[in-house]
Amino acid sequence: MAETKEKSETDEKPKPRVRPIVRLGIFLISHSFLVSVVCCSAGVLALFLLPVLAKNTYISENALMPGSASPMLSNQHISNGNRLVKDLTGSKLKSSETGIESQRIIAQYMLDLGAEVSFHKFHPQLNQFHPLHFFSTPDSGIMQENYSCSSYGINTVGIIRAPRSDGKEAIILVTPYNTLKSGLGEALSVGIAYSVFSLLTQVTWLAKDIIWLVADSRYGEYEAVAVWLRDYQTPKFSSLSTINAEMCPDINNLYELNVNSIAGSKFSNSFRRAGTMAAALVLKVRDQSEQFEDTISIYAEASNGQMPNLDLINVVNYLAVHRQGLRVKVEKLWSLLNSSWLRNLGEIFESLGKVAKSLNPEWKFGIPATEYVEGIATLASSLYYQALGVPTGPHGAFRDYQVDAVTLEILPRFSSDKVRRNDILLRGGRLIEGVIRSVNNLLEKFHQSFFLYLLTSPSKFVSVGVYMIAFALLIVPLPMVAASLYVDASSLGNCSKSDNSTTSAITNTDERGITVRSWRWLNSAKLVFVVHLWGAIVSLLPYFICQIPDCSPTTSFMIWVLLSMLSLLALYSVLASPLSYAEASQEKEWAFVKSVTISSVFIGLGLMSVINFATAEIGALLMVPMCLLARPLKLDIRAGTLRSFSRIICNLVLGLIAFPPAAFFLLKGMLDDFGSLNAVDFWMWVESLWAWNSATYLFIGMVHLPCWVLCIHILLHTC
Amino acid sequence: METFINSKAFFKLLLLPCLLLYSSIAYNSSSVGATMHTNNWAVLVCTSRFWFNYRHMANTLSLYRTVKRLGIPDERIILMLADDMACNTRNKYPAQVFNNENHRLNLYGDNVEVDYRGSEVTVENFLRVLTGRHETAAPRSKHLLSDEGSHILLYMTGHGGDEFLKFQDSEELQSHDLADVVKQMKEKHRFKELLIMVDTCQAATLFNQLQSPGVLAIGSSMKGENSYSHHLDSDVGVSVVDRFTYYTLAFFERLNIYDNASLSSLFSFYNPSMLMSTAYYRRDLYQRHLEEVPVTNFFGSVMETIHTDAAYKPLSRKNSGRLETQMSLDQTLLHVERRTFINVNDRDEMQDINVEGKQAASKCPWSTFYSKLQKIENVDSLVNYGLVAMLPFLVVSTWLLQ
Repeated sequence: MAETKEKSETDEKPKPRVRPIVRLGIFLISHSFLVSVVCCSAGVLALFLLPVLAKNTYISENALMPGSASPMLSNQHISNGNRLVKDLTGSKLKSSETGIESQRIIAQYMLDLGAEVSFHKFHPQLNQFHPLHFFSTPDSGIMQENYSCSSYGINTVGIIRAPRSDGKEAIILVTPYNTLKSGLGEALSVGIAYSVFSLLTQVTWLAKDIIWLVADSRYGEYEAVAVWLRDYQTPKFSSLSTINAEMCPDINNLYELNVNSIAGSKFSNSFRRAGTMAAALVLKVRDQSEQFEDTISIYAEASNGQMPNLDLINVVNYLAVHRQGLRVKVEKLWSLLNSSWLRNLGEIFESLGKVAKSLNPEWKFGIPATEYVEGIATLASSLYYQALGVPTGPHGAFRDYQVDAVTLEILPRFSSDKVRRNDILLRGGRLIEGVIRSVNNLLEKFHQSFFLYLLTSPSKFVSVGVYMIAFALLIVPLPMVAASLYVDASSLGNCSKSDNSTTSAITNTDERGITVRSWRWLNSAKLVFVVHLWGAIVSLLPYFICQIPDCSPTTSFMIWVLLSMLSLLALYSVLASPLSYAEASQEKEWAFVKSVTISSVFIGLGLMSVINFATAEIGALLMVPMCLLARPLKLDIRAGTLRSFSRIICNLVLGLIAFPPAAFFLLKGMLDDFGSLNAVDFWMWVESLWAWNSATYLFIGMVHLPCWVLCIHILLHTC
Repeated sequence: METFINSKAFFKLLLLPCLLLYSSIAYNSSSVGATMHTNNWAVLVCTSRFWFNYRHMANTLSLYRTVKRLGIPDERIILMLADDMACNTRNKYPAQVFNNENHRLNLYGDNVEVDYRGSEVTVENFLRVLTGRHETAAPRSKHLLSDEGSHILLYMTGHGGDEFLKFQDSEELQSHDLADVVKQMKEKHRFKELLIMVDTCQAATLFNQLQSPGVLAIGSSMKGENSYSHHLDSDVGVSVVDRFTYYTLAFFERLNIYDNASLSSLFSFYNPSMLMSTAYYRRDLYQRHLEEVPVTNFFGSVMETIHTDAAYKPLSRKNSGRLETQMSLDQTLLHVERRTFINVNDRDEMQDINVEGKQAASKCPWSTFYSKLQKIENVDSLVNYGLVAMLPFLVVSTWLLQ
């Protein structure tokens, strides 16, 4: 500062003083190489540090008070539940018809408790690719017209009205139940829900209504819940559904049975509603499991990486561990547990933590190596499932309506005797009761705790403020490198011209030349735009391919690949071919392309991080090194030094890895087995992505793939 | 027979000045200090609401019950309560509030008069109650009608922090506000002594700004400390009472209205290891020795017993000229009457008499003597001397009669 001051005093025409932030920016841009290396490595390191930085979960909302009330579920309720389980498993032997018998039994049991009961008939909707459905809320009953009596499902809904409340809120309990082929597990889950339900009809402390939905899962668990939710949230004012019901004799039959048997009961044909949903629990019991102790696994990921409020998971975790003595687990990538390099990394962090602690006893960030490896495995799975954008259970349907929901799957210690079954009923029931009572205490929606987090264990989490840093470090170099490339390329062009033109005589043509030169990046932008357009076309192609009847996945995949390549060639040759502006192309052309590419990648990643952070994080890990390193192979070959040679190797490897199908196969091979790989898997995977309206699909099609193509373009650039 | 009557009349005549002297001395003795303690008030405030703050309402209701039991009548208790627990849908026992998991005592019985309820419990209303500056429509039952002879118990519980107390999760009462309102009360002669008892986290910080004399403050915790709940009622599913209040109640449960336990015994009853926080007392503004002040001075309605000779007489003011009126009243009085003051609330009457007294001041021959008497501190000895001085009179009179 002092220097500049002196200068400005001495000079007759003082230079306009450059503000410190601009000077900092110029400094960073001029050292962009160093900055990008440091930032990228720091970003990757920060990602691996996340398990160390994870915090213990805590109940953030005061009103919840989990476990402060002693459970009221008694053996009486358990025997009620057991009775239902017996009836359900027995009825399967009696009648092998369409499963209406079991629906009737459940409804009858609900009515006996004094609950309001109704059936909800629905037609399953096929998962189809709707290009305009991304980010939009599911609409009501568009597909309702082409119903048929042969394919429908029946949800059974029981509602307990809170005796002294205003009925504005409700808690949902969902048990998926496949009426056609249900195992003991599903019957048990219905039994647990029933014993809790029978308790809740007697208690005086309900502040929210209780809805128990027995979802008919013969067309998928998610589908049944999603359709019921859609009908719940978007009231229809036509009588279409009742007409549908009347036209199908089976259902008529079902209704009549109930109405006749219990005259004056609370049974109703129409769709029953309660208040807005405070929270939802989906309960499942797995049939077979090889657990050594009773375990409960929590699934929380909903569409596009949305998570329920952390408080809900905390409540479940707290009650399961500290009240019912169940082991809680969340998904892990098991293959990572055995990797030795992670273990070594964990040991390094552990020893670093010890050193830090010896320096200052207040620094406690070291965690044991085994814990670190488990944390990384859980974190990776958390990232993966969020990045996928596909819900991991029926709870995902609730998240679309901003209702916090989790799926709880009870994995009982394998044994089938009656005592064990009672024990599972009791502990599962008490857990559900505790969670319901805790949510019942809520005064507002869940809002205190985090919505954006990654779990590193059931009781540890990394919040958005921490994991953002890793991503931010990864993408920070992008704008700097883009700017520095642009500056370099333009100045190089200027220098070559400046020999001819003197400062004293600036002619008209030179002025035009400068303006033309300063707009040269537009050519590159055109190329980048065209490639992104191609990306959009590729993303839309499956919609048309799906219209082809009787098309096997293999042929569909082939058609897709072929059409994509054809359209790329066509667009490239017509619009963005270097030949069309041959006279403009110069030796620094690739630098402009790279600069614009990097800018577009930066924008794409930034946008995606808002929509689905995990996708953006994984995408950044793949794309950022590739973008930053991309350099025409020809230049490097010409240089022939060791440095350029290693750069060639890096570029080729990164170019291979970052290709979306290659990345998919690599990941799948690493996680499962390389032997079972099949080209169709990718098609299936992509199909699942668009069927679930995952934004990841759009990201891959419109950001990742174009970026890869552009990088390849740069690599193969003819200088 | 006649002589006997005469002698009796004479005796009476002789006795009169003595009686007058005595009564005037007795009367003045009470006004030697400032004003005497004539009545008790309690302002009990629960500043939180919502189901999970059940314990705060239970705290307040428990204290309400205690001060009522010890003799403060309902019309002298201002109870500010969110009052959303008893009929909360989450309450397993509708219309009942407990402060102990044994459920023996229902605090929400028949006689709970809540003066400020629900959203009326605001900082504004709290300040209005204490300063007595109500809106015109506020009914008299919601006023704190204390005077310069009042002992006031101000009990507050809720969620607090460093120099503030939250009101229903939306407002805050700061220590400056509290100090200011106490100062206003002092200037308006709204209390003689004020005991502020606060059960919140960092309660002691709330007293930092207090300046007014006659204020005694007790807080449940020091700065940086939390006030913890005592126990959880797993049947109702909430904590039902705070530690500080629990032990306060435990202290008072042993007492009845006739007990003479002092404030210092109450203060020493708080055991930091039981409270899990350090109870804090601010006594530098308070003149009396805590050992000499019975707790019933604040938590009950028990006052000193005063000997007076007049049944319907205003309390003394420091106004010497009133003596003539007193004399005229005293003329008819033949024997000394013992009477306990409970309350004098009729200010209008007192003012009338004051005016009368001032008019009579100039023609009173006793006034100089009276002012001298005022300086004599030991009244009892003076009375004794007077009685001894009567003996010669008695001897002379009997001698004359013979």
